Amino acid sequence: LFIISCSERASHKTLFFAHSLPITHPVHKGILSMQETLKEKSGGKLQIKIFPDGQLGSEREMLELLQIGSVAMTKVSAASMSSFAPEYKVLGIPYLFRDSDHMFSVLEGEVGKKILEGGSEYLLRGLCFYDAGARSFYTLDGFIKTPEDLKGKKIRVMNDQMAVNMVNDLGGSATPMAYGELYTALQQRVVDGAENNIPSFVTSNHYEICKFYTVDEHTMTPDVVVVGTKFWDTLSDIEKEWLQAAADESVAKQKVFWRETVKENMEVLKNANVEIYTPDKSPFISKTKPILEELMKDPIMKKIIDQINDY
Amino acid sequence: MSIETISILVLFVSFMGLLAYGVPVAYSIGIATTLTLLINIPYLPATTTISQRMTTGIDNFALLAIPFFILAGEIMNRGGIANRLIEFAKSLIGSLPGGLAYVNIISAMLFGAISGSAIAAASAIGSTLTEKMVKDGYPREFSAAVNISSSTTGLLIPPSNVLIIFALASGGTASVAALFIAGYIPGILVGLAIMGVVYVYALRKGLPKEKRVSFKKLFRDFKNAILSLTLLVIVVGGIVAGIFTATEAAAIAVVYAVLLGFINRELKFSDFRPILLRSARTTAIVMFLIATSMAMSWLFSFESIPQSLTGFLLESVKNPLLVLLFINITLLVVGTFMDMTPAVLIFTPIFLPVVMALGMHPVQFGMVIVLNLCIGICTPPVGTLLFVGSGVAKVPVVKVIKPLMPLLGAMVGVLMMLTYFPELSLWLPRAFGLID
Amino acid sequence: MQTTYKILNKTIEGMLVLIFSLLVLDVVWQVISRYVVGQSSSFTEEFARFSLIWLTVLGAAYINGQREGHLSMDFLLTKLPQKRQHKRNKVIQIFMAIFALGVMVIGGGNLVYITLKLGQLSPALLVPLGFVYAIVPICGLIIIFFSIYHIKITFNPNHNEY
Ligand code: NA
Ligand code: NA
Repeated sequence: LFIISCSERASHKTLFFAHSLPITHPVHKGILSMQETLKEKSGGKLQIKIFPDGQLGSEREMLELLQIGSVAMTKVSAASMSSFAPEYKVLGIPYLFRDSDHMFSVLEGEVGKKILEGGSEYLLRGLCFYDAGARSFYTLDGFIKTPEDLKGKKIRVMNDQMAVNMVNDLGGSATPMAYGELYTALQQRVVDGAENNIPSFVTSNHYEICKFYTVDEHTMTPDVVVVGTKFWDTLSDIEKEWLQAAADESVAKQKVFWRETVKENMEVLKNANVEIYTPDKSPFISKTKPILEELMKDPIMKKIIDQINDY
Repeated sequence: MSIETISILVLFVSFMGLLAYGVPVAYSIGIATTLTLLINIPYLPATTTISQRMTTGIDNFALLAIPFFILAGEIMNRGGIANRLIEFAKSLIGSLPGGLAYVNIISAMLFGAISGSAIAAASAIGSTLTEKMVKDGYPREFSAAVNISSSTTGLLIPPSNVLIIFALASGGTASVAALFIAGYIPGILVGLAIMGVVYVYALRKGLPKEKRVSFKKLFRDFKNAILSLTLLVIVVGGIVAGIFTATEAAAIAVVYAVLLGFINRELKFSDFRPILLRSARTTAIVMFLIATSMAMSWLFSFESIPQSLTGFLLESVKNPLLVLLFINITLLVVGTFMDMTPAVLIFTPIFLPVVMALGMHPVQFGMVIVLNLCIGICTPPVGTLLFVGSGVAKVPVVKVIKPLMPLLGAMVGVLMMLTYFPELSLWLPRAFGLID
Repeated sequence: MQTTYKILNKTIEGMLVLIFSLLVLDVVWQVISRYVVGQSSSFTEEFARFSLIWLTVLGAAYINGQREGHLSMDFLLTKLPQKRQHKRNKVIQIFMAIFALGVMVIGGGNLVYITLKLGQLSPALLVPLGFVYAIVPICGLIIIFFSIYHIKITFNPNHNEY
């Protein structure tokens, strides 16, 4: 019996894939489709086991586990990647992309490929980008029609310097805080608002408290599917091909899941009497310019940014 | 056998073996976790991962409340806070039959509320009150039993370190603010249940009562106690009103305790070093346990143990009431031989998914698991509170067990109420808008 | 060995008191700055979290040096005759030393190596995370020293207690 189970184990490799989102999230559905495609392509020789919900740790911790080699793959925000592999920083610049078409053509083109592969230097090889929509402000009292409306407002941001600078540049008061504490913080008015994309706004139930969502779309930071090079290097060439192909094929499907989810979410928001307002973006764009200018001082970053603008 | 089954066996057997041999709990957890992970992944990634989980597991701002509440408790224990609370309780209810026993219970509730430590409450109140109770004709072992059981109330009544630890172990599904507010009713219920037992005992044995005091003395004693009790208003009020987080509240408690110590002239600058060192020791014992436990609970997720157990329990035991009973009995057994902190850290990630699948709110489960383990620390063979309480009363542990039985029985009664009546735990936090 | 033991203890005690004091000042300052300056800084929070890691791991090593140390279920142990207790205590020390070497020194050392080599910085203070993790292998070594000390001196019936 033992021998059989051993030989069974030897006949396929299991890839541990950990991420921090709930199983209802469109990103999880994208990963599920990748799991299925990989099983098909490899004839069951390469399989994925998914650990959702942050079971194995936060995004930063999972990236470390990839570097250590105990977990094979993860999905994180490009913002989390930037503290490991600096090139990703570019993707967090406010109003970097003109629209989502611009974003996809960049990410799925040469620039995207270069950024993904560049992570290998830090033992974190990117496989593909997932759509994470655009982040916008949501608040307890009134819309953020112009940056002036942020004055005196405490806005929760991720623990990330660029996010802090962005809110402060716009005139608000950035408050870095763990995501898990945010619901209570909003309820108790420790902060006046936060910023995120529509699906996160809904799955976190923050819409129950914040009734104003301003579609200013300040950042379009994508998600990244990452494989640790410690694991990647153990794969044969054909296995690498299967995995890359499965990742690539899941991208288009994930985009569809994302759009469907946003559509469903809009219904939820409507029923919950959440008001939505689309402001004129130009004052937001000009106020956040310093972040772009600061990064342009670095020649490597400048090169990437110029390439992105050329698309 | 599948690799999962082998892993669970190795984990369980090595952990129990190391514990029984006398290896410290934190190390038993760490070694068992390492051995089990080694079955699954190679040596270097396995040990590196455990080091990473130990450090990131305690890399949490919410956990900082623990060292601060410990420090505040240490500072307050120096002063005459216990005496002030006892005098106040005596003026309040000493004139009932068995008055001193009630005084013990009320003082333990107040002191435990402030310090958040059952051990501190049992030693502070017990050492002041036991001799007086014995002189007035209370059996020594009865006094010890009342003191021990009532000291557990401080773990439910906020602030409470064990509730902070539970919030951590629940993975953020239960907020510290909601747990703190939720703890009042269960904590007071336990106090009332113990008083009920004392009442019956007093009727049967004809226990003595104290003289009724003048209103003037009651007012004076209240004034003396109020400065200490104000701390509760600041800490709990501040957290619930959203003025500051539990961690910040704990830091405020330290500042307040220092100021109070200087005002009462009970604290000198030269006291700081020994107080800080003692608090650092206590902190490290608790936090190192948390560190290795966090590595173990990561291993649980890695092996999908909570998911398997949830599936198994819900399929084999169809009746939800029976599942809850099973969990309670398991925790009561666990509590007899395991201390509170490791038990909360190890069993929360295992049982919380099960009870949540049954529709129980995480805050309610927090009350259930904490009260369960409160009973556990009063029972042999491992009963830290039992040992400390017997020690300060200068009575052998075995003699305390008999008078303790009805008191523990009352606590089990409250436990069943908490398990099957969610509103007892959820009504208050809901009224404050802290949970849906 | 006893001189080293004493010096080590004094040094750790000093560090624990220092870290704890800084921790209190840091968080008190965080509360004050949030209300007076109106802005909370991510620096104070990060400093507090890292101090707690150091306080915990260093404190754990310190407790290993004491005779009455970590919480354990010694109710069976204390029933044994003195000689067998000593023997068992020595084995327990070996267990702890193995954990300290195998996990804290080697695993923790590798963690420090990886994070330093890849240049990972903390988000707010921008200190290399390897420095924060470094406390783990350092304390692993201290724990091994304390284990050897206890085996040779504390639980050695032939050694005259000082
Ligand atoms: Na308390
Ligand atoms: Na017990």
